[in-house]
Amino acid sequence: MPALLRETSETDKEVSILEKPAQLQAGGMRLSEKRKDILFLALLIAPAIVLLLFTIGIPIIKSLYLSFFDVTLLSMKTLKWNAFGNYHKLFADNDLLHSIGVTFRYVLTVVSLQFALGMMLALILNGKLPFRRALRTVILIPWVIPTIIGALLWMWLFQPQYGVMNFILQSLNLSDKPLQWLSDVHLALWAVTIAALWKQLPFMVTMLLAGMQGIPGDMYEAAMIDGAGKRQQFFHITLPMLKNTIKTVTLIACIENFKMFPLFWIMTSGGPVDATTTLSILSYKTAFIDLDLGKGAATGALWLIIMLVFSWVYNRLFSIGEGKGGAMH
Amino acid sequence: MNRSKRTSAFLSILIAAAFLVFLIFPLYWMLLTSFKDNSVLFKLPPEWWPSEPVMDHYRKLFADGVFLGYYRNSLLVCLTTTAITLLAAMFAGYGFSRFEFKFKSLALFSILSTQMLPVVSLLIALYTMYNKYHLLNTRAGLILALTTSCLPFSIWMIKVFFDHIPVDLEESAKIDGASRFGILFRIVLPLTKPGLLSIGIYSFILSWDDFLYSLTLINKDELRPLNAGIAIRYIGELSYDWSSIMTVCVTSIVPISLLFLFFQKYMVSGLTAGAVKG
Repeated sequence: MPALLRETSETDKEVSILEKPAQLQAGGMRLSEKRKDILFLALLIAPAIVLLLFTIGIPIIKSLYLSFFDVTLLSMKTLKWNAFGNYHKLFADNDLLHSIGVTFRYVLTVVSLQFALGMMLALILNGKLPFRRALRTVILIPWVIPTIIGALLWMWLFQPQYGVMNFILQSLNLSDKPLQWLSDVHLALWAVTIAALWKQLPFMVTMLLAGMQGIPGDMYEAAMIDGAGKRQQFFHITLPMLKNTIKTVTLIACIENFKMFPLFWIMTSGGPVDATTTLSILSYKTAFIDLDLGKGAATGALWLIIMLVFSWVYNRLFSIGEGKGGAMH
Repeated sequence: MNRSKRTSAFLSILIAAAFLVFLIFPLYWMLLTSFKDNSVLFKLPPEWWPSEPVMDHYRKLFADGVFLGYYRNSLLVCLTTTAITLLAAMFAGYGFSRFEFKFKSLALFSILSTQMLPVVSLLIALYTMYNKYHLLNTRAGLILALTTSCLPFSIWMIKVFFDHIPVDLEESAKIDGASRFGILFRIVLPLTKPGLLSIGIYSFILSWDDFLYSLTLINKDELRPLNAGIAIRYIGELSYDWSSIMTVCVTSIVPISLLFLFFQKYMVSGLTAGAVKG
């Protein structure tokens, strides 16, 4: 690519010098136009491509490569091939399967709750509610708050003795003793899920709402004349018309949560007893706490494969009805 | 009929109110806690309204130069990241919108799919690369990494905006003898202002949110941005000083909240354009 570019630019110069006296020759001019187009396009997209290659393209290949070697922070100069040793270790100590389980449990819970609640709130905000315009703005606020601030805030709300969450639950008689939200094996993942919902629900609602407002109103009118009730309208108009939006938004939410690091790191650091050790916590800990970069890279590689398979399956699942209802965008 | 309609309207107001409490109350609690004296903080039942608000925590925080240092680092890093993202995304988005070329859809698809990659596994290799090129513990290195995490979606968003601008406008400018960059800067960009604003805001929010890159790529305290600084300095001790932490939190969301207040219209339109129409 760079060689090609240089060639174009050189010939381009020649042409432009030669071009002046022969400007009336239409054929020659078109050729130089085309070359200029290529050069211009290359100039436009090169900076972005170079940046992306440097910090994403090369690292991802390098990370796959590292996963086959013994690499620690001290032995970065001399890489030692370890015959799939990193992968062996990963499967031997059972941490991997456990964290895959935790990751999936977390992602499925948070995304399905987010979708169900988001849909509910979007439907309400799409209706005739007083102050709905202001509400739409206000509910977006948690979305702009940095994730670690959200994490700290919820840690304070979940604080066992003086946290407001336990106080409310106890005064409503919903629980008889203070809950150890972040240090109870059964509650910790839920605590993180609630914090994630708080931060991510606004985005989900806003996107679904934007999709709903793109549905032409006369479809509902026609349905109403045909005697369709609210429920039927929802299942036969709103949901099918929103299919693309739903697909995109839930996929974004899944990916976002598969990668989720700050909430777990701040709120639980993967504990108690690995109850919240997701793939991202596991590979971060392996690489940067235990300083075994090779094993961390191997975790990352497997994780990458899992995500690719997941999004492939996801796309598959969503295009099931494409043949019949696919024409509706 | 009428009665059931009224109950359903009432029900939806009730549910909306519940959501509102869930989304907004924590923020109120954060603000309130930051004004509470430690003697009131651990009172049960808690004070729902400050009886004696104190400014001590803010005073202490601003007297401590370290926090302001983190703040400055964050602003520096995020503003530069935003500027570079804007430039690179604008050019690339224009290129992708206006030109047809081989492998274009493949290129666009691969750019967007980088969003899917687990950052931690990128980071392991990036760390070794940065170590080799002496980019660890530099602002430039952090900015580079953050720029590329903002770029993919920004390119996608701004491309959608460019797609909506008619090509005819550019053709007539071309006939008038404007240069290619002249067309881009004088004709197309002014029309894409909302789009530029949205990607600018998006990049700023995303880089202000960053934790993982700055936690790993920077380990000099004087270079640390806010999030990593907060995590390392204020957490991890045995007992938490909650009012101080909440004060730090309130202070650190100020720039983001201001951005939100002034530009929320562009934020929403940009995101929906990129995510839904794309």
